[in-house]
Amino acid sequence: MKKLLINIILFFLIAIVVGEVVVRLTHAIADIPQRTIDDHGIQKYFPNQDGYWKGGEHKWTVNKLGWPGELPESNDNLIMVIGDSFIENFMNPNECHQSAFLKANMKDYNFMEAGRSGVSLIEAMEISKQLDSLKPKQSLIYVNDEDFYESIVQVKSMKDITQLDIKNKTIRYGEMKAPGLKKVLYSWKLMYYFYNRFPLDNLINTNSKQEAATTNSEAEVKSYSTEINQLTEYIKQNYTISDKTLVFHPNSEQSIINICKDAGFKIIVLDSSNDDTWTFDHDPHWTCYGHKKAAEQISKDLLNSANLGAFR
Amino acid sequence: MLFNSLEFFIFLPIVFGLYWLIGGKRLKAQNLLIAIASYVFYGWWDWRFLSLILFSSLVDYSIGLALGKNEKQSQRKILLWISICVNLGFLGFFKYYNFFVDSLVDSFTFFGSELSINTLNIVLPVGISFYTFQTLSYTIDVYNKKLQPTKDFVGFMAFVSFFPQLVAGPIERATNLLPQFAIERKFDYRNAVDGLRQVLWGLFKKIVIADNCAKYANIIFNNHTEYNGSTLLLGAFFFAFQIYGDFSGYSDIAIGISRLFGFNLKRNFAFPYFSRDIAEFWRRWHISLSTWFRDYLYIPLGGSKGGLKMKIRNTFIIFLVSGFWHGANWTFVIWGALNALYFLPLLLAKKNRVNTNLVAEGKYFPSLKEFGQMAFTFFITLIAWVFFRADSVAHAFSYLQNMFTTSLFSEIEVFPVTILSLVLFFIATEWLGRSGEYAIEKVDFMKKPIRWAFYMLLIVLMFSFTGEEQQFIYFQF
Repeated sequence: MKKLLINIILFFLIAIVVGEVVVRLTHAIADIPQRTIDDHGIQKYFPNQDGYWKGGEHKWTVNKLGWPGELPESNDNLIMVIGDSFIENFMNPNECHQSAFLKANMKDYNFMEAGRSGVSLIEAMEISKQLDSLKPKQSLIYVNDEDFYESIVQVKSMKDITQLDIKNKTIRYGEMKAPGLKKVLYSWKLMYYFYNRFPLDNLINTNSKQEAATTNSEAEVKSYSTEINQLTEYIKQNYTISDKTLVFHPNSEQSIINICKDAGFKIIVLDSSNDDTWTFDHDPHWTCYGHKKAAEQISKDLLNSANLGAFR
Repeated sequence: MLFNSLEFFIFLPIVFGLYWLIGGKRLKAQNLLIAIASYVFYGWWDWRFLSLILFSSLVDYSIGLALGKNEKQSQRKILLWISICVNLGFLGFFKYYNFFVDSLVDSFTFFGSELSINTLNIVLPVGISFYTFQTLSYTIDVYNKKLQPTKDFVGFMAFVSFFPQLVAGPIERATNLLPQFAIERKFDYRNAVDGLRQVLWGLFKKIVIADNCAKYANIIFNNHTEYNGSTLLLGAFFFAFQIYGDFSGYSDIAIGISRLFGFNLKRNFAFPYFSRDIAEFWRRWHISLSTWFRDYLYIPLGGSKGGLKMKIRNTFIIFLVSGFWHGANWTFVIWGALNALYFLPLLLAKKNRVNTNLVAEGKYFPSLKEFGQMAFTFFITLIAWVFFRADSVAHAFSYLQNMFTTSLFSEIEVFPVTILSLVLFFIATEWLGRSGEYAIEKVDFMKKPIRWAFYMLLIVLMFSFTGEEQQFIYFQF
């Protein structure tokens, strides 16, 4: 028995080393950039990082400001593109980012992205506030229904995301969740590979997961309409919204869109109906094609408005 | 709990550790641990059906004891029939009730009258066909006085529910497995290493071969009208390796795990796709089921003693019942009938026991004749697999109709090179290792670093080609 156990342990130790080499060489798991929290409480990335996306087909980059993607050549006629993992867009190469497609469609303007996975609406507003010093003409804030719920402590309390406490009318800045563990996990690629391939929550009954995952229904919006109204009211009072445009993902809840319209936001609603090729097969994020189509709709909308500052 | 799940990778070392910690001398405690672990293993899927296994164990244990005490033939026969009725009754209800109702309603409709019987929303208990046949073998063997009834209920419970082979076999005979619960098990290093190696090979078969072939088999079978004949042939090829990798992979894992616990299970597959005729194929495919039917159905029906006519009749009965055992669908019955038809020329020519040795023994390559025989046997099994895989008889016929057109010789439309390369690697490994119990049994000739590198390669391939956890096909049978 002792001999067997020693051999098993030895085999596993060698397997771990071999596995680490294989995972790194084949880019079986995406490289993950390291995050930091800046002086304004915003979680962003350490500047000037790069790494490979899963499969190693393309590289992602983090620019000197700590946001994924490339910086514009100039800050003249600048339009900010702010959002979550859709804007962060590690799964596509830089030429498939919103800024690249928008620039191709609107050559007189420059575009700068500020995206990070998990960004809520209130966090996007905070980011836009910080970036207002660059004097952008417009800020496009990409949102989906979840970004509204995740903005409000009383609706969906999340410690790692910046949220609004609507009771006390205060911003609660997000904390880094297990930064030490994350550092180990992202550096030990084999472990991160297993963590991704065999998530521990698979052990939990899938039924209860499904029950917990009910979101975005009309009923839910109705039940939180007061809170969402309070959120938009807070945003109106504390941020400039005249130069902000909310870009709603396809299939967003109409009642949330209406609340935002009523609050005075400029709105663009993306439409991917009759086109299911916007997203990856096993990933809800947009493909390069999806980004291109989204950018086409946005630039068309922006160009149709005679004056970017007063469209719609 | 699936063998290829994270839960099982946690469960197995715990049970293994506890088992050998208890030690082989405390037999009862070890058997109790196996019984409890087996119930946890099964209950992980659905604890409600544990009562079925427990009830089945209680009935057959009690009947075994009663048979042991009773010498009166008429009463012994009644006891045997009680066991058969209870066991097959459960199996019939859970597996075949809806099928019979549907078939009855369809036949009334066919003859122009209407019959209204509601089907039930029945969940088929995983592995019921396997443990039912296993417990039946006990009662029949005790009835035939081939086996002394056991008085150890815990040991009997462990025998019925033994987790490595509970849900998908091999279907163990009481005469082989039950006595192993009554003797001291000693830890044997070589046996354990061999067991682990067999588990590794079984996982490779399941995760790399079966699950990846399944992807393409499903695409092609589910959209068969959109593909040409050559692609449909490839679809059947993928299914042939899906079912073989899936089922023989499970058997390898079951046998390997049992060896870790000091048990020896019967071999279930012996490289069936290297068979030179259909009789040889059936001596090498799902051996535990074929021999079960041979011993408990074919021989009691008269076997081959009553001349050619009886031999043919009994062969057809065995194949039809075997088809029906696999599932409540006419596709399985036709699959069985087709195999019986394949068998017929061999029976008539009395050549059903010609190829009993290993093909091209001691050689690297088969002769041209052997190669032709293997290719032909594989091809006809491929045709039969179409019925096995199809959703309905109409689906199977439509598939074959679309396959056997001139487009059979046109370019293949779906050609996953990587998966086909893996299948080729698998076939080559099986061919080189065909003299062993399983393909990589005899890798000891390699030096340790090379041997371990080979194991690592299998593991890397497994992780590289694993997708979502896939249930084993034979769970549904």
